Amino acid sequence: MPSTTAAAEKLLLQMVDDYTEREISPQDMPMDAAGDFPAGFMQKLTDTGFLGIMLPQEFGGAGFGPEVTAKALNHIARGNASTAVTLEGHFKTIDQLLKFGTPALQKKLLPSANDRIFAFSMTEASGGSNPMGISSTATREGDHWVINGDKIMITNGGLAQVYCVLVKTAPKELSVFVVDQDMPGFSFGKREDFIGLRGTPVGEIVMDHIMVDDDHLLGKLGDGGLIGDSAHDDARILMGAVLTGIMEHDLKIATDYAKERKAGNTPLTDLQVTHRKVADIAMRKETTRLLYQNAAKLKAAGQPYSEEAAMAKAHGSRAAVSAGDDTLQILAGYGYSREYPVEHLIRDARAMEIAEGTVEKMRSAIATAEFNK
Amino acid sequence: MKIVVCIKQVPETNDVTIDPVTHNLDRRGLAGVMNPFDKNAIELALHLKDTASEDVQVALLTMGPDDYAESLREGMAMGADAGYLLSDRAFAGADTLATGYVIAQALKKIGDADLILFGRQAVDADTGQVGPIVAEFLHQPQITYAASLRLSGKNEVTAERLLEDTKQTLVAQLPAVVSVRSELNTPRYPTPRNIQLSFDKPLTVWHHDDLDLDDSRLGQAGSPTIVTKVYAPKPVKRELTPLTGTPSEAASQLITALKSRQLI
Repeated sequence: MPSTTAAAEKLLLQMVDDYTEREISPQDMPMDAAGDFPAGFMQKLTDTGFLGIMLPQEFGGAGFGPEVTAKALNHIARGNASTAVTLEGHFKTIDQLLKFGTPALQKKLLPSANDRIFAFSMTEASGGSNPMGISSTATREGDHWVINGDKIMITNGGLAQVYCVLVKTAPKELSVFVVDQDMPGFSFGKREDFIGLRGTPVGEIVMDHIMVDDDHLLGKLGDGGLIGDSAHDDARILMGAVLTGIMEHDLKIATDYAKERKAGNTPLTDLQVTHRKVADIAMRKETTRLLYQNAAKLKAAGQPYSEEAAMAKAHGSRAAVSAGDDTLQILAGYGYSREYPVEHLIRDARAMEIAEGTVEKMRSAIATAEFNK
Repeated sequence: MKIVVCIKQVPETNDVTIDPVTHNLDRRGLAGVMNPFDKNAIELALHLKDTASEDVQVALLTMGPDDYAESLREGMAMGADAGYLLSDRAFAGADTLATGYVIAQALKKIGDADLILFGRQAVDADTGQVGPIVAEFLHQPQITYAASLRLSGKNEVTAERLLEDTKQTLVAQLPAVVSVRSELNTPRYPTPRNIQLSFDKPLTVWHHDDLDLDDSRLGQAGSPTIVTKVYAPKPVKRELTPLTGTPSEAASQLITALKSRQLI
């Protein structure tokens, strides 16, 4: 018999595949058209326990490790990338609470992560990939902190109920606080109308004199840069998994179509030009899978994984855009039609050349790591 | 209340082959999944557990190789409390009669099951015979093809049978054996947390020597079934004459009808 861990992983992925086929995939096209999750969609996902996949069992979650969690998102993304990215945003935030939160903060917040979405917010109008450019602040007033600022382009912004927010606690000091949508002074702002991952809400929160105690500080004062980098690293592994799922979706569409379609009297499967494109999609998919699984394996083993996570996202995002482009070309007119999912898979993949650090920033991080070896 | 749900692991693919010698399904080397109809039976048991005023314990029972434990775990991740795997080389090659015999003996050992549930049939062999055979071995009332079921009184269930042309409402005293149709419910998904917790639940493996068995009734040697040919039968349209009135009046009508056809 397989080990308990392997057997549990098999059962989880079996359930994820079943759920994706029956509940998620049918919503892929409607979600893209509507620009939102359908009514009841997130509630059912929540009721089925998806929010707690990687949450430790002591907090009511399932406690699956980084490798299995990433594989689960990979499998979900075969059916719909938006659902997987919403879970990615939730999981990366839980990860930071687990890494940097005090036992008291974890005990207070994490049990609710089974049925409330958590989000991590760094970007502002004045700064995205440059954290020191932000203008949100937390200032000390008596025995509490007062938070002011405006965060934009938050994955799950508007959907999430709990937010980790990067603020300045001194002119050159970044820190992270945890705020809740129910706190006085918290409000939602504009929701973005992005071209891809259209199911995933991306929006703004406005913090107007939100008062919190010291116990809402994540890590120590001045840990903001460290926590932000860590959140990026964790997100990038999961994005590699999502991108792999998108390319698996591409590959299925491309091969199914090629097996049915003829060019003149020649089946597409007999054309060298089709071979080249299908092989390229398959190789891009497989290299991204190996990259994200390697990063997840390092993370699970407690070893450094920042560079490997950056590789998974930097390679995977361009690979998925190219895979979508090749799939579109195989389907030709049908690929260019909005009646088929290929064009939105390209738009979905394109988001991940920007989100969680641009590919340019990824390459700088990878190069810097290599220079320092 | 104790409910035992008997489940089967079936090949994941429809691409099964027929053994040219035995004419049985050749399941060797095929990945397995839980028979889909059995999930409806588990869901019924869990619904009764969720809604009954008394404590309801749900156990799962299957017969097969070691890897059938995967389906037991899946059922326990759905919410069942325990699993029993009957696994021994001596059980291999069993037809529905020999399978039903071993399952019935295991149910006797488990003891005190108020309700024994089956899916309507397994999707690989499609016989639907094991449930009724187990009911006969245990001398218990049986209701097959139930599309609804409720506990209708102390030690009593009421079920609606969905047949090709008609519906029947039957009441049975417990303990009883019921096989269920997929129209009954929509099986729940095992949650990720319950998948993990299922590995803390008891899974008992019983081999040949753990059960009180007559060896002549086991495996291929204990299987009177000889498969000569596998084919899809043509549907036969039968005349349907409902029996009306009290049970006594209905019995009189039945006897008259059988006599008129010289069947008795």
